[in-house]
Amino acid sequence: MLVTPDIPDISKVDLKKTYDAVVVGSGAAGGMAAFVLCSHGMKVLMLEAGRRIDTTKELKSTEWPYEHPRRGDMPPDRHALTLNEYTVRKPPYAAGIKASHVHNYVQTWSGSDYSKNLFVDEKEHPYTGTNYAWVRSRVLGGKTNVWGRLALRLSDYDFKAASRDGYGENWPIEYSDIEPYYDKVDLLLGISGVKENLEYLPDSLFQRPVRFNEAEVHLRGSLQKMGRLITPYRAGVTTDGVKHNTKYRMRCFSRGACNRRAGGCDIHAAFDSPTGLIYPAFDTGNLTIRTNATVREVLLDQNTGKARGIAFIDTVTGRDYEVKAKVVVLAASTLESARIMLLSKSSTHPNGIGNSSGHVGHNFCEHVMGPGVNGIYKKKVGTARTLDDGRPGGFYLPRFRNLKDRHPKFIRGYGFEGGSGMTMFPDDATSMTGFGKAYKKKVREHAGAFISMGAFGEVLSRYENHVELDPQMKDRWGVPVLRFNYKFSDNEKKMCEDMAETAQEMFEAAGIEIVSVNRQILTEGWSIHEMGTARMGNDPKKSVLNQFQQSHDVGNLFVVDGSSHVSSANQNPTWTIMALCWRSCDYLADRFRKGEL
Amino acid sequence: MSHKHSDKDEPARIDRREMVKMTAGALIAGPQLNRKKNEPVPHKFFTNEEFVLLDELSEIIIPTDDQSKGARAAKCASYIDKTLAESPHPEDKQKWREGLSLIESISKEMFGRQFMKATAQERISLLERISAQEANPVKPEEKFFSMLKSSIAHAYYTSRIGLLDELEYKGNTYLREFAGEEISK
Repeated sequence: MLVTPDIPDISKVDLKKTYDAVVVGSGAAGGMAAFVLCSHGMKVLMLEAGRRIDTTKELKSTEWPYEHPRRGDMPPDRHALTLNEYTVRKPPYAAGIKASHVHNYVQTWSGSDYSKNLFVDEKEHPYTGTNYAWVRSRVLGGKTNVWGRLALRLSDYDFKAASRDGYGENWPIEYSDIEPYYDKVDLLLGISGVKENLEYLPDSLFQRPVRFNEAEVHLRGSLQKMGRLITPYRAGVTTDGVKHNTKYRMRCFSRGACNRRAGGCDIHAAFDSPTGLIYPAFDTGNLTIRTNATVREVLLDQNTGKARGIAFIDTVTGRDYEVKAKVVVLAASTLESARIMLLSKSSTHPNGIGNSSGHVGHNFCEHVMGPGVNGIYKKKVGTARTLDDGRPGGFYLPRFRNLKDRHPKFIRGYGFEGGSGMTMFPDDATSMTGFGKAYKKKVREHAGAFISMGAFGEVLSRYENHVELDPQMKDRWGVPVLRFNYKFSDNEKKMCEDMAETAQEMFEAAGIEIVSVNRQILTEGWSIHEMGTARMGNDPKKSVLNQFQQSHDVGNLFVVDGSSHVSSANQNPTWTIMALCWRSCDYLADRFRKGEL
Repeated sequence: MSHKHSDKDEPARIDRREMVKMTAGALIAGPQLNRKKNEPVPHKFFTNEEFVLLDELSEIIIPTDDQSKGARAAKCASYIDKTLAESPHPEDKQKWREGLSLIESISKEMFGRQFMKATAQERISLLERISAQEANPVKPEEKFFSMLKSSIAHAYYTSRIGLLDELEYKGNTYLREFAGEEISK
């Protein structure tokens, strides 16, 4: 039986004492920082801007659509931004929209009623500048409550990419530095997959893998002839269970709810930060959690030059608070951590704390998405129904570009996420033409025969892609908002052309009947994989943090989220965020114990 | 009829008692134990005439056949009616009103009488006319057909009849193992 810990009310949080560390944020990075530091015996205060929502009750993963009054849709007075709105309009996107709440595009998916409390209201959280679909979750656990679960490792093809093609900067670490920490994350949280022995996509310590259906087995066989492969979705999901955490999490029971909701797992087989990291950290007795704490500044001790704590606003009452800590750990997400650093101005840090390099907010990168292919596996049409979607994901097709050969038109690479088989709602029901018995039969016979995949490509880390504080606009709490200066470059556009071509070519080679080839690049931000705004490096002039995510300028300031990543690679970042954070927090705790921070 | 499948393809499901023992707590309120009969909702937005017309259109688009019952039995018109009654968007309501009245005027033009008084074959021929440009609708009645069909399809395939009887959807259940095939290396 799953339980949730009895976390004291925020009125009980002691804001007078000096904590060993204050951690800002509670997602993959904040949760991991709290878990590791508390395990080392440090007294930690976690600040989360949102409230705590019990997703065990909120998500209702197994509710049938017809059991919900609106078939899973949000109340009609709420609005979710569409691709068209993100493209045609400019931020702030909620301006002029009459709806009671305005949400990001994820809320246009089916089952949006279950995730409506997990995402911010764009009306309260505006931003300005160039087009960007910025998906934010201000709630305990952040976006890990609904993440896509694809858990991949980076390799030296990524960490040393600059040495390979001459573009950008190498990471200040190599694979052997982070490998033991990837292992620790695998064992602590559980990950599902199949060993493939790929140098450029290292294997994890996998639990029971998801299985392929017939179309996917067929595609795998066909791709092998091209020297490419699809592997079962490497899901950050415990499929065998994690023995050390049966209190808060269960193993996956293949209920198949993963892909018919905005995401989220109410039995917590899929990793989420609260049940995987925060509650276990709380059980050490060393963690204090202050929700509804909107952080606006890292406070500096002008005498020592060190961070002395955090200034925050109570999200509900608007009251100002300060809290003292010996170490400050920012884990508010790539863009929010950068925002907090830029907001933390002082006479010694006129451009924001830890920003002597001028790189905070810059080198902003992510993954470019959009191109892909949909097709029909004809052998499946009209055959007996099978159960195909009881799994946390379909397949992953790892990068094949710029490994040995050099592509003439672009550098770096991309991978595809895809899947096939019967889903709860037949996608062809709205695309099949006609009506009547013939239409009904066509939908029935084709449901389950579709196969599709879409690419995620590396967006080059470029200095000019950056966020800064907007000089005028403020959010509901009076905090200056971010202004985006972010565009895809020619490299991404060329890469996207190649994605569509190779996707089509691979399906054709497998004899899959092509229904459509997507060539459109989705609005910047669509991948929800933002990175790079406080990058690591050995040179303090060109980077914000050292290899332990420690500020070059302020020794007791750490930034442990995706902002530290030197390049985006093309792999989904969550597992790397957690492995890096664990490594840095081991270092932090060691230095703290020795009195060196 | 529905739910026909061979036993050999059946993945190992976990029986309900075992599941409750394993999961307890919040999960007891899972789908198997919480399935309520949705009572039909009397229409709130459409007039009687509009509702009867929409109900008929829905059944023509997704009719009862040998596999399963159609959109009428799945109460698709009621679902659309309820959605519109709750909608804060007057322009959406307007589109439906205008669309249904367009059907009536086309019916009068084609057959000299109301849609519900036309023969079954005439009704189908009207829908054939307004769906001819389905891939690229231009005229108001063609655009209305797109909206009508996608709304009916959404309502039908999220209904119990559409999901379980028509599509024989087999997921949303607790399994011991993932269904599917081992990959060959």
